[in-house]
Amino acid sequence: MGFLSPWFLAGFAAVGIPLWVHLLRRHRSEPLQFSSLMFFEQRTQSSIKHRRLRYLLLMAARIAVVVLLTLAFASPFVTRSVPPGEGTGSLLVMVLDRSFSMREGNRLAAAKTEAASLLNSWRPASYGQVLALDSQVHLLTQRTNSVDELRAAINSVEAGDGRSSFGELARALRSLSESEKLPLEVHLFSDMQRTSMPSGFADLALSSDTRLVLHNVGSEKPNWAVESVTAPRVVNDPKKVRILATVAGYATPAASRNVSLVVNGKTVSTRTVDVPENGRATVEFLTLDAPHGWNRAEVRIDSADTLPADDSFLFAVERSDPRRVLFVHEGRQRRGLLYYKAALESTADGAFQVEAVSADSVANVAPEKFAFTVISDVASLPPSFERALVQSIKSGGSAMIAIGPAAAARAMVPILESKIAQSKYAARSGERFLALGKADEAHPALQRTNRWENVKFYQAFDVDPGDARVVARLTDQTPILLEKRVGQGRVVVFTSTFDNISNDFPLRPAFVPFVERLARYLSGFEENSVGYAVGSYLELRREGSASRALEVLGPDGKRALSLSEAATTQNLQLTRPGYYEVRRENGRHELVAVNPDRRESDLRTIPEETLNLWQGAPQGESAAAATPNEPREERRNLAWYFLLALLAASVVESLIASRYLSTSKETA
Amino acid sequence: MEQRFLNPSVLAAISGLELVAKTVVDGFISGLHRSPDFGFSQEFAEYRAYAPGDDLRHVDWNVFARTERAYLKRYRGETNTLVTVLLDASKSMAFSSHSVPKIDYARYIAASLTYLAHHQRDAIGVVVFDDEVRDYVPPSGRQGQMARILHAIERAEPGTRTDFAKPFVLCQDLLRRRGIVVVVSDFWESPETVIRTTEPLRFRGNELVLLHVLDPEEIRPSLREPRILLDMETGDSLQVTPEYARHEYPARMEAHIAGLRSKAQAAGIGYFLAVTNRALDECLREYLSIRQGRM
Repeated sequence: MGFLSPWFLAGFAAVGIPLWVHLLRRHRSEPLQFSSLMFFEQRTQSSIKHRRLRYLLLMAARIAVVVLLTLAFASPFVTRSVPPGEGTGSLLVMVLDRSFSMREGNRLAAAKTEAASLLNSWRPASYGQVLALDSQVHLLTQRTNSVDELRAAINSVEAGDGRSSFGELARALRSLSESEKLPLEVHLFSDMQRTSMPSGFADLALSSDTRLVLHNVGSEKPNWAVESVTAPRVVNDPKKVRILATVAGYATPAASRNVSLVVNGKTVSTRTVDVPENGRATVEFLTLDAPHGWNRAEVRIDSADTLPADDSFLFAVERSDPRRVLFVHEGRQRRGLLYYKAALESTADGAFQVEAVSADSVANVAPEKFAFTVISDVASLPPSFERALVQSIKSGGSAMIAIGPAAAARAMVPILESKIAQSKYAARSGERFLALGKADEAHPALQRTNRWENVKFYQAFDVDPGDARVVARLTDQTPILLEKRVGQGRVVVFTSTFDNISNDFPLRPAFVPFVERLARYLSGFEENSVGYAVGSYLELRREGSASRALEVLGPDGKRALSLSEAATTQNLQLTRPGYYEVRRENGRHELVAVNPDRRESDLRTIPEETLNLWQGAPQGESAAAATPNEPREERRNLAWYFLLALLAASVVESLIASRYLSTSKETA
Repeated sequence: MEQRFLNPSVLAAISGLELVAKTVVDGFISGLHRSPDFGFSQEFAEYRAYAPGDDLRHVDWNVFARTERAYLKRYRGETNTLVTVLLDASKSMAFSSHSVPKIDYARYIAASLTYLAHHQRDAIGVVVFDDEVRDYVPPSGRQGQMARILHAIERAEPGTRTDFAKPFVLCQDLLRRRGIVVVVSDFWESPETVIRTTEPLRFRGNELVLLHVLDPEEIRPSLREPRILLDMETGDSLQVTPEYARHEYPARMEAHIAGLRSKAQAAGIGYFLAVTNRALDECLREYLSIRQGRM
């Protein structure tokens, strides 16, 4: 028997307190008033003797309370020898890593073999459970004592494409220990990749009654991989494309690698790159000859290493004509159009083309044919166009509305029907102008705009935001930029104009990025990433949108969602590498490329010391030294028993004390 | 049910002595008091030959006409007696081992007795004393006398006491007319002293009753541990053991009560022990039953 916190035993000194109270303290009693002492005579009795006789039981209970409290804090334990996974009521947990890196060589087969050999030596007097680990922990069996069931579960493990996370494993083991209320004996069969470690070692903490045994089935091997590809999602001009691919070598010598750009299965370009030792190199492709529509593109290297699955990086590119933007304006005022068009069409890739239509001739224009619509200070819109625009927005379109004096005459913001409360003026003379005040700089309209530096606003319109989100306010708290979701689409309101009259924004450097970023945001370019990692989620529909069915085809060409899921699900977890085809509710077709997490390509293992630390073994002792088949010493903490005894002693003490208390009350 | 309300602790919760007295006395057989004197009432007692000095108004002139002898007609007086209650308000009367102190119990008894006497048109008076005569309401049967009596009783609070005999000397001067004198006290004095002190009241033709009020704890103390006891009147202190309180003290107390009772009887003084945990009406009924025909 030992003590985990022996310094608490100093608390035994407190035993002196009840001893002093009961035996040594001078007996004092309050004088009792009596009507007459006529018939009383002086008699004395030894008070110490009296106390000792009367309160011996109470004193014993109090001493017991002090002793038990001290022992409980000192955490006593007993040690005993226990065969592996037997007799102790412990749960044998076998965790098999099935992350992407386990595809290397025969790592998974080795893990299975080791797990099976452990099972052979296991005597099923207690329970076992098999888990599979990637970015999440998957229970392959429930708690069982059937060896066959455990063996079948081990054999069923297939290498996946996700990344392994030891932090997630530790969290799952903590909750398993809490729910099972049993000591756990955990055997982890993994290649112990360094990248699987969480950022903080504290995340690996296991509960005190969990014993971890690590089985390393991997070793450090050189591996080249295409780490990332940066490519535009939409290509308008194939001559103006820039595709950047990063080739990384992990534990590799310096070498030359051939990098190929493959579009729709056809190699369109090949470069040779020198990858430094254990380093990275970048390859640039400046043309992308691809047909109109979605194209399945890929950057591939010839690595000749033992993990070929990370030698290519998939991405999807849409070749399309410039997107048309409908610009509705008052026929008389064309300055706003001039500035906006110049800013939008000056962007490098020419992704947008502005088509200007005056408000009185827009009645027959179909807004759904445009990427988005800009309504620039328009007094009134033809009702048929307004209806069509609202319908288009609800089904996923977007619009931008600039409020100027003409629009303010209507006192209502078109489409949103928000009230325009008043016009805020600032004189041009002196410093009397308004500037940008509070703003959400994470919003695309404010990204790369340096907070609209030096932009002066002379007139803005105070729009009642209602349930719209205020993205930016001027210094006098007038909302300058608002955004509101309408159905599936969104409307952005700029409460000033683009004509260099109400403000000098069009003349400032911030205007071009503002127009460009906002155009990309409204046309939906920003929402889609070039590539997704396996295990990440793809947003299919926004919260609260109508439940119209959409369709997702997986990398194998089969539907990834059931009919009911297709009607309701908001996010789809991308579990396999390859191309996913998404046909959205608004009829838009989209191609999404999914690649394994590239952190899995780094096959370097965790240092031995770190693994020992995680297992709780002393430094320098090999992880393999703690063989699972040898009897082990188990500590059994007795603090709980002492706490229970303390509770009982406290109850006894209370009962005895209350009895004496009531007696003395009666006497008084 | 009625008995429950007559419990001293229940009566203690009733504010107003008149209500307490009414609660206790109402329902009693009225008229138990009988005057020790012959007076003027309807109940004939006897004839007596006229002697010089007798009041001529009492001569039965019919008998004189028939026999030419003067006889006095005598009636049993029922309402003409004086009832005076001497209420001890010494410090020791404040003792209590339960919810009703002795002084309260004594007040209830005094109020009940005077209420009973007043109910049958006796003249009633009260003397409240400790070392001195603290309050005195002369006996009277006038209207409002009951209220005065109750007021005086209610005002009685435990004061001091070192000398038992002193107030009785003063009382002798106050009680000049004959009647019934009821002394309500805890009589913490030797029986000889008590009788010697109170006896002079009887010599004047008064009927004297000693009502001994004691707390049950005073008769049989329940000490569980050695305690220092403090005399409420003298302030003296004494360490007492439970063994003494359990065995020797009760014996001495019983001897004291028995001595007081026998010496009172020997002196022609009535004695009655009232323990404060007894129901008040039960106590009064016993007292009146004992005295039936005499008061």
